[in-house]
Amino acid sequence: MEQETTSKKQGWISEDWLALILGLVIFGLCLGSFKGSDLLGWGAKAGVWIDPTKAITTVSAQYQGVKGEITKIEGQKLTLKNKEGKESSVTVEGDTSKMQVGQQYEKKGMSPGMSLFLTYLFALVVMSLGAIALGANLPRFVIGFTLAFWLSYLCWLMGNFAYIAATKDQLAKFQIPWAMSMSGEFGFIFALILGLIIGNFFPGLAGLMKEAARPELYIKTGIVIMGAGLGIKAAESFGLASNIMFRGFCAIVEAYLIYWAVVYYIARKYFKFSREWSAPLASGISICGVSAAIATGGAIRARPIIPIMVSSLVVIFVAVEMIILPLIAKFFLWQEPLVAGAWMGLAVKSDGGAIASGAITDALIRAQAMDIEHINYAEGWITMTATTVKMFIDIFIGIWAFLLAYIWCAKIDVKPGQQVDAAEIWHRFPKFVIGYVLTFIILVVICWPSAKLMGPAEKELAELKATITSLDKKMGASKDAAVLAGVKTELEAAKNRVKTINNDIKEPKKLLGAAKSASSQGDVFRGLFFLLCFFTIGLVSNFKKLMEEGIGKLAAVYCISLFGFIIWVGLFISWLFFHGVKPPTIS
Amino acid sequence: MDQPTKLSEEMKKMEYEPLLPVELSLIRWSIGIGVGSLFFLYWLSQYLFPGGH
Repeated sequence: MEQETTSKKQGWISEDWLALILGLVIFGLCLGSFKGSDLLGWGAKAGVWIDPTKAITTVSAQYQGVKGEITKIEGQKLTLKNKEGKESSVTVEGDTSKMQVGQQYEKKGMSPGMSLFLTYLFALVVMSLGAIALGANLPRFVIGFTLAFWLSYLCWLMGNFAYIAATKDQLAKFQIPWAMSMSGEFGFIFALILGLIIGNFFPGLAGLMKEAARPELYIKTGIVIMGAGLGIKAAESFGLASNIMFRGFCAIVEAYLIYWAVVYYIARKYFKFSREWSAPLASGISICGVSAAIATGGAIRARPIIPIMVSSLVVIFVAVEMIILPLIAKFFLWQEPLVAGAWMGLAVKSDGGAIASGAITDALIRAQAMDIEHINYAEGWITMTATTVKMFIDIFIGIWAFLLAYIWCAKIDVKPGQQVDAAEIWHRFPKFVIGYVLTFIILVVICWPSAKLMGPAEKELAELKATITSLDKKMGASKDAAVLAGVKTELEAAKNRVKTINNDIKEPKKLLGAAKSASSQGDVFRGLFFLLCFFTIGLVSNFKKLMEEGIGKLAAVYCISLFGFIIWVGLFISWLFFHGVKPPTIS
Repeated sequence: MDQPTKLSEEMKKMEYEPLLPVELSLIRWSIGIGVGSLFFLYWLSQYLFPGGH
């Protein structure tokens, strides 16, 4: 996380506030779905592909083409059967009285190319407005963003190639003998690697994208949008969501108290760093990378150069962690998905890195669980856990900085007349978190009353369905008139109950459908911003920094603390609070 | 991320500062409260959300 103090200040807004505004604008447009209008429904959604022409579709069915034989006409609603025999319904405009069952119907949709181009154009316009507000060089930003967008999207498509992404249960669908089961999110790793290659070996090309290389802005905007999707999940499984939040809070209390003190001690005792170096270093390594180092530097009145030097090291190690940790989680933590999510939040030391690692771990673990035990975990819960842990860490940075400032001011570096201002807590507060909380709460409030009705209703419907199947079998098996009459009465009662329930949940179902449609539109841009974050983290990770004279001592503290202590203690704390807590499964 | 100030110069400039008793207290209290609250929070998480584990 990058705070106001580190945000580029040439413009009139910090990256934190800007991310909040941009995220809320996109979220606001997505809410059109509640009025029946998918304003961002043309957004490009990439799926696992073997035929490149089918790699991209529009996210909303409103913009997709349909073709098939009409099997039913109900007012403006047509039921169609496609070539594979699959039925789908479509609402048509205009006169349907001349249409007949058995006729062919075709509606042309938006082409994948147009959908992708519109997605690029929209993202470019939105982010360019943001760049103006940040005081960036607009022409350079436009060139940089354009290059970053198309290069990272290419990686995204590569990651979705069936041989890389498909899980075992999808092999037959794509008619391929094997696949790596990495899920489409492996495109994030491709984007990171391509960014690293360009950033370290093609400085000219990297220079062209420098103005648009803003990983923290992208991830923060993505996080604001993501709040909505997680809000729906929380509404549907309120108990689990509050469980995760409470456990996330517990985990970070430990992280602050144990991590920081140990790293500070190692830096001071064994590496003989001064207090001015040790405190930002301890915060950078143990809490939340760049922002914590800077907040601590400010709190203890360290020279600004120190947290900046610490931060440059943080970015490099984050890139390494982002490649290694999700893969370790896939193979060793797939049976404890939420432990893996919390681990990403605790071990990866930047917002971008942690939440992006959470997203890729989400996909990798779900694919692994599906391959090995045919468990289909609901998407997003691992990401939600990583995000919750990271958000709590971010929120507490201000309090931690305030505490350190007080201790330094009152006990360590006592200067007459110097006081600590409580306003510092607000100054250090990560403002984009407000956006995340807002979108999350809005969707919880909208969806919870409906979700509360839907849960028991769906359970009852499933039971009734089983009853009806069993009664149907009885009807077929028995020839006794009295038994048949009894079964028939029971069957009718069950069917009537199904009708009543379906009628009762019609409105809640519609509302949840609209919420999910809004969330999936936002998800297109959330995914895009995550992708840009991965790519640009790679771009700004300058490994040549490791060759610089004098970095060895800093890197040594970092390596020993991170790989020798933080990662494993983080894993233990994650396991302690999250083991046995499983995401919902989809039948 | 390139800084005009050389990191090596900064490292050379750094003077040795012995650990003060107040720093040691900060470290001990922090770890002590951390480990102590670990037990308490674990118990609390089991008490509030017993189905979790």
